[in-house]
Amino acid sequence: MALFDNDFLTRLEYLSIVSRKVFRGQLMAQRRTKQLGGGIEFADHRQYTPGDDFRYLDWNLYARHDELLLKRFQEEEDLHVYLLLDCSRSMSTGEPPKFDLARQVTAALAYIALADLDRISVYAFANGVLNHFPLTRGKARILSLMQFLESLDADGGATDMAQFAEEFVIRAPRRGLALVLSDLYDPAGYRVGLDVLRHHKYEPHIVQFHHSAEANPKMLGDVELQDVENGDFRKLTVTESHLRSYRDVFQAFLTSVTEYCSAYGIGCTITDTNVTFDQLVLGMMRAAGTK
Amino acid sequence: MSFSNPAAFLWALLAVPVVIFYILKIRMRRIPVSTVMFWEQVYDEKQPRSVWQKLRHVASLLLQLLFLGLLVAAVADPFFDSDVREQRRVVVVLDTSASMQARSEDGNTCLAAAKTQIRRMVRALKPQDEMALIVAGGRPQVVCGLTGHQRTLHVHLDEAASTDGPTRVVEAVELGRRLLTDARNEQIVVISDGRFAGAAELAAEDQVVWSQVGASAANVGITRFQVRRSLLDPITYQILIEVGNFSDESVECSLDLRLGGKLLDVMPLKLGAGEIRADVLEETSVGGGVISAQIQREDELAADNSARAILPQRLKIPVTLVTAGNWFLQRVLEANDVVELTLVDEVPQNLPPGGILVLDQVLPEQIPQGNVFVVQPMAATDLWDVDGALAQPLVDKQDRSSDLMRHIRLDNILMPEARKLTPKVDFTALAESISGDPLYLQIPRTSGDVLVLSVNLDQGDLPLRTAFPIMLTNALSWFAEGKGELIPAVACGDSTDRRLSAGLQQAAAEHNNQLVLTAPDQSQRNIQVLDGHCTIGPLQQTGIWKLTADAGDDHIPNEELSAASAPALRIACNVADPQESDLRMPETIKARQKLLSAGFGGRPIWFYLVIAAFLLTMIEWLLFQRRWVS
Repeated sequence: MALFDNDFLTRLEYLSIVSRKVFRGQLMAQRRTKQLGGGIEFADHRQYTPGDDFRYLDWNLYARHDELLLKRFQEEEDLHVYLLLDCSRSMSTGEPPKFDLARQVTAALAYIALADLDRISVYAFANGVLNHFPLTRGKARILSLMQFLESLDADGGATDMAQFAEEFVIRAPRRGLALVLSDLYDPAGYRVGLDVLRHHKYEPHIVQFHHSAEANPKMLGDVELQDVENGDFRKLTVTESHLRSYRDVFQAFLTSVTEYCSAYGIGCTITDTNVTFDQLVLGMMRAAGTK
Repeated sequence: MSFSNPAAFLWALLAVPVVIFYILKIRMRRIPVSTVMFWEQVYDEKQPRSVWQKLRHVASLLLQLLFLGLLVAAVADPFFDSDVREQRRVVVVLDTSASMQARSEDGNTCLAAAKTQIRRMVRALKPQDEMALIVAGGRPQVVCGLTGHQRTLHVHLDEAASTDGPTRVVEAVELGRRLLTDARNEQIVVISDGRFAGAAELAAEDQVVWSQVGASAANVGITRFQVRRSLLDPITYQILIEVGNFSDESVECSLDLRLGGKLLDVMPLKLGAGEIRADVLEETSVGGGVISAQIQREDELAADNSARAILPQRLKIPVTLVTAGNWFLQRVLEANDVVELTLVDEVPQNLPPGGILVLDQVLPEQIPQGNVFVVQPMAATDLWDVDGALAQPLVDKQDRSSDLMRHIRLDNILMPEARKLTPKVDFTALAESISGDPLYLQIPRTSGDVLVLSVNLDQGDLPLRTAFPIMLTNALSWFAEGKGELIPAVACGDSTDRRLSAGLQQAAAEHNNQLVLTAPDQSQRNIQVLDGHCTIGPLQQTGIWKLTADAGDDHIPNEELSAASAPALRIACNVADPQESDLRMPETIKARQKLLSAGFGGRPIWFYLVIAAFLLTMIEWLLFQRRWVS
């Protein structure tokens, strides 16, 4: 079955309508950015400096306090949405593969953003930027985006989020919402890469994918585990005790992701591959609406 | 060390697939995973011991090969060469007498306890050992000859059943000795309750290993039970019953007597400790049947609580008396309850079936066919001549072996004017005068026997003596083929020789001189008939045994002896042995000796090899499998 068939498009349109009626402006589209400028909603005052536009002086304050202060307004502008799709080999595992769900979610979020007149761009990454779909605007571009997504493969090597983040901030200087769709299985740690995004004023939102065999493996006895990202082998004798420890370690990893995001006000969605993309996107919108 | 089954080492080839599977096993399953970083965290926390990690697979292979080696060695059945040099031959004598049916405190019979011991000994046989099994109940019998095949021994042991017969352990041991002639390292193991004469002496013998089973128990049993017809009164019969109390306390109970199932009498019994009491009861009945006695008391041995005997039936004998008038003779015959007397003046042309013709002085020239009793023959006939009279004959010889002369003494009786007879045919003199003239003779004929009494009843004092009615009663019984006097009950374990009735002889002749003997448990076997006699036994079960012409005739009820259309012979069999009834344990038996054992710990080597293999599987599980499932 094709990744983006007619049924997918139908459900995509449904998601777009639902997002506009119910969650309007709460996830991506029409949301206020942190850019200050020529908007209509008051944000702050600052000292007048020569050359400033007199139209924004606060004359009332000047009359009362004899002080020239300039009114600042929150600038309303179309949002830049960056969809950062993990194409490392670890995303190819699972049944169905995590990569398929990640691409569907990427397409869904992009469609919603395009429908709300936002600008989107897609970056495929692993240990760096592998490919990217340039900034674009308008629903008509969704088909091109889908073709781009279908052309991607999860064979990009090992995950190195720090390396990718360094490249990304150079390639995309315009700040915006950065949706990271990944399993975050970075041996060096996912935090470094996310920290780079944060420090460069991007607004990260994490969607972590995993499948049930990763969360709850069943193998017992003598096995040889092969890391699909770097090809390393590890010979193990797996016992029930080891399985229990593994489940604890994996759960601790997911908890650490949640705690990290919570600590820095980053949106976070953790999901396994047993859900459909529309269920996942609706869940994300509901979660954003309750904040 | 040698092996009984060296071909079993071919099973060692199983090591090849074991190694192949081992090689396949150590090629681990390769499982691709998204990342091993979580597994590394797990194993960093639980670092396995590196040396064990390296050796564990090799250790697993070695354990499996060792396990296989132990099993193969066990199947090969190893034994020490010393076992061959010390080959044992054992004869086990199993007491299956009636007393072995006694139950011990645990509810099992002595026989069951004995069998358990023997099974243990059979399992302890070494490969070269041989064992034979002799049962000693009633008649010693080798039920299994010397063999080392344990299954055969078990089968024959299971088939060994208890009997109601006496103990024949001494004879069985003697039989065992004959089996072990020229054998070295031989043993005779006796397993018995020790309730027989000579047990202590037997147990003290060096060659005998004594093992005693059972425990002392109180018992009341019938030790004798016989029934016979009265000698004087044809319808009276006497019951001899002897009951013993084989305990150390007095006992009160009752004993029921039944004839053909109908209650005759209930005897209250009060027996002191160790008392044996005998009683003779008199009852009257023309009919016969099975008389049974039953002690109304439950004890450890049921077989001796009941006894049976056959009471012969008194059949009415049609007697035709041809006489001109003989008051004594007529009265004696009339007084006999089994006689159906007809008085006539002339010799009748025909006699009723089974009838007896009594000729008193009236004689035809030719003696008629059938059974004829002639008194005072005054004239010659076709069977004898008369040469006058004997003036004062005295009885010089009388045939005491003949049933006709039973309980009769004629030597002091006056017999004047007795006829002097000269028989023309073969005869048997039952009583002779000093001159050798027959006074009372028996002439056998194919058409019917003839008895001749030459005594003049009017002149002598014979009619006044008790011998006269007894003589007539004997004659009537003899003509009736001896029916009705005594059919003795047989003690269990004994054999009996019986003369068959004419009907049974004829039936045997029609069946190739064979009759069918049906035991109380309805099992049947053929009995050979020789010259009208057959030897039956030894009888090993109490109850009524039946001898019939056909196997299907055993359905005739015991109580319907007279109604039986087919000829049959019934024999009552009782325990009738005070030694078997006495369940008190003798104290003179020496302590139990050590029974058979095989190898160290009493087990063969293969047993320990299997145990070792089992322990190896446990070790393998603890080292390898447990770690997966714990």
